[in-house]
Amino acid sequence: MTEYLIRRVLQSVLVIFLITVLTFLLIHAAPGGPTQVMLSPGLSPEIFKQQAKNLGLDQPIPVQYVRWIGDMVQGDLGYTFKNHLAVSGLLWPRIGNTFILMGAAWLVSLLIAIPWGIYNSTKVYGLSDQTASFISYLGFALPTFWFGILLQQWFSLKLNWFPLSDMYSRGHEGDIGDLFMHLVLPVTVLSLGFLASYMKYARASMLEVLDQDYIRTARAKGVKERKVVFHHALRNALIPIITILGLDLPILVAGAALTENVFNWPGMGRWFVEMASAREYSVLMAVTIVTAVMVVIGNLLADILYAVVDPRVKLGKQGGGTA
Amino acid sequence: MIKKRNWWSVLLIVSLLGILFTGCSTNNTANNAPAESTAPTESAVPEATEAVADGPVDGGTLVMSTFSDVVNINPLLVNDTASGDIAQFVFASLFDLDREGNVTAQPWSLAAELPVISTDGLTYTVKLKETIKWSDGQPITADDVVYTVETAKNPETGSPLTSAFDKVKTVEKIDDRTVKFTMTQVYAPFLYALCQAIVPAHVLKDVKPTELQTNAFGTDPAKTVTSGPWKWTSWKQGDSHTLDADPNYWGEVKPHISQLVYKIYADQNTEVQALLKGDTDQTSAIPVTQVEAVKANDTISVIQKPGAQYEYVMFNFDSSNFKDDYGLFDGQKTRQAIAHALNRQGMVDNILKGVGALMNAPFLPDTWADPGDAAVNYDYNPETAKQLLADDGWVAGSDGILAKDGHRFSFELQYNAGNSRREQVAAVIQQNLKEVGIEVTPKAIDFAAWIDQNVTPGKFQALLLAWSLNNPDPDGESIFSSKYFPPAGQNSGWYKNEKLDQLWVDGYSTVDQAKRKEIYKEVGKEISTDLPYVFLYQYGQAIGTGPRVHWAEEDAPEPSLGYGQYFHAIKWWVTD
Repeated sequence: MTEYLIRRVLQSVLVIFLITVLTFLLIHAAPGGPTQVMLSPGLSPEIFKQQAKNLGLDQPIPVQYVRWIGDMVQGDLGYTFKNHLAVSGLLWPRIGNTFILMGAAWLVSLLIAIPWGIYNSTKVYGLSDQTASFISYLGFALPTFWFGILLQQWFSLKLNWFPLSDMYSRGHEGDIGDLFMHLVLPVTVLSLGFLASYMKYARASMLEVLDQDYIRTARAKGVKERKVVFHHALRNALIPIITILGLDLPILVAGAALTENVFNWPGMGRWFVEMASAREYSVLMAVTIVTAVMVVIGNLLADILYAVVDPRVKLGKQGGGTA
Repeated sequence: MIKKRNWWSVLLIVSLLGILFTGCSTNNTANNAPAESTAPTESAVPEATEAVADGPVDGGTLVMSTFSDVVNINPLLVNDTASGDIAQFVFASLFDLDREGNVTAQPWSLAAELPVISTDGLTYTVKLKETIKWSDGQPITADDVVYTVETAKNPETGSPLTSAFDKVKTVEKIDDRTVKFTMTQVYAPFLYALCQAIVPAHVLKDVKPTELQTNAFGTDPAKTVTSGPWKWTSWKQGDSHTLDADPNYWGEVKPHISQLVYKIYADQNTEVQALLKGDTDQTSAIPVTQVEAVKANDTISVIQKPGAQYEYVMFNFDSSNFKDDYGLFDGQKTRQAIAHALNRQGMVDNILKGVGALMNAPFLPDTWADPGDAAVNYDYNPETAKQLLADDGWVAGSDGILAKDGHRFSFELQYNAGNSRREQVAAVIQQNLKEVGIEVTPKAIDFAAWIDQNVTPGKFQALLLAWSLNNPDPDGESIFSSKYFPPAGQNSGWYKNEKLDQLWVDGYSTVDQAKRKEIYKEVGKEISTDLPYVFLYQYGQAIGTGPRVHWAEEDAPEPSLGYGQYFHAIKWWVTD
């Protein structure tokens, strides 16, 4: 197990390193640079050149990369070009903000989706199943920004039940109750989207397991239906769900740009889009790394969880089938 | 290397997934002329914001909104709207503009009186007030002015102000309160360059010019010594700025409002929602599509008046940009035909919802340099357009598209992606020109890429863009003269007209306004006949203000000035 973990971590470091090289090349290959966005195009090109020089942007790309990776391994994420602010000081608060929003939405949707999906797998095409299907379609089909604006119009501007946007009201920074009120609308929008897919996965995965021979055998033995579902079927049905959750883990830090926009949530998704159009290379690299690390962690966690729920899976052995 | 006389700046509104970023430039400069600046369109200052019977009260917080965060508020480096907004609250300028755009010494200006200009027009002597001081208590002196101008002129600084001061030969301290500028030549627009905020020499003099951009002055509130009525208390990146009235402010006129909050939203739609909800008190950029919705809310007053900016279609005269090196826009009659084919009034009515005024020359309507009827007006007339095209040798081909000498009249019209106004205008242009047999392919390009690959090097066929005139001086040499060809200059369309080249020089080489007016009239006539651009319209965005904010009528926002949405904010007050 330990040996397996070490091997996986080393592999991951290599993968992340390759990702940084590729990302660095790709974002620098995009035409235009920070100064083209910072400065008015009407200014003399001399000013663009001088500012690029003052910011170190005139160096060849490999030199810039080496400088960046050198700082990176020392834990320094670099500075924004446009105003020389430390990226780490900007990044961590935003990761925190996004984690609160996405984590809440994820939790809410899982708590509803998994039990409901399991229940529906036992009563296929019943009223509950039909309702769930309808909600899933709605969740897939509603554009998040439109749904968000709709909720704002009803529940904030008309009924005044919830705040319109932001994370806290002015003067209430850090107040948990205030944060909760601000979370309700965006979490509703986001969890509807998650709910739709997780419920479908849970239901489909259960149905597949319930159709298998050993379940039939269990039933034939006269095992109670309740025990069949929760004891025999559920554990196996969880495996594909864990895979999906593991793969989705990065969204907890990557955020959701559109929803964050509508609710003016100071999170990562919105920030990443802004920084991409501003060509803030160091920010883009930092976000890429954090996301890549989350992908790796998500996959690793999923693999470890397989072993927990499925005794057949042995990590680190040839033919374990999960590495 | 040629230095640019550039105090024009481009207002390019860019957006990606609805996130907007404005690149526009800084100096609040002014209109020298006593123009009877009547608002070209509706200007409503509803009762809600007129002086209330109670009169001004001190204290309270005003929450303003914006959709882009500050880059750097160091006045030497300010080059975007958000930074300019904050800078104008916290830094005092040598001179300020009055509502008509005249350069004046106001109670909040650093200068005590108007500059004394020598009779030969070559020296400007500026007298500072006795009482002025920095927020750290140090006096503001001639040394600060000399440092600011010399650093701005230094090419190593990379300051956007470089061109504003490039005609200054020397700037000398006569005594602590007096500064003398000596010019290399008579240069009338220089007066507006004096509406400039000053930076503290005692803080910055040991910083290398190349390191000013990475210095904390301008990006760290704690390290930014200021000189205005409010000081910069805090900056929560991507969220808000807080400005508090400076208890040590030197001015005789003190601000009524004790705290300003500059709140950053993801985009203009979110801003409008926040204004409607009452989370914010003012937004200066209501999208045209939402103006009616905001007006329907009777607690919010809306000011609609076009600003100091105009949109245009630029032709490219470098034939290497076209198939077979055949310049499609070489014929003057062809360009005139395009001007006749475009329904500009329709664009103003339908896309700008009336907040715009047609233009025929690069001078804002109703300013002193506006040539009026001297400029040729191209009414919307497809028949005239067809006739002019036929006169110029264009004949319809089998597919209905015009052709000449085997070259189809088909071109690409570029604009920046995400700007919904330009997207709509480009579609109208495509439709209008199709009616006269010209094929247009509108193409939206990511802003940074566009500027880098197309606009700066002058590689495009035609483009749709705007100029923001944050200086009301009419000089346009740096964008229309053949001295400024790309990639070193800003005449991106490679336009060359020897008569105009000379007229621009004549225009700034005299400080006699009556003479200048005649020269710009001649410019207006020539440029509207020859058409390097099709000038479309002056446009603006509506300012919405909530019920808590009050001002006397003479202190109302003035959209036609740069940063005019905060005109005389020092005299506003808020109530709860």
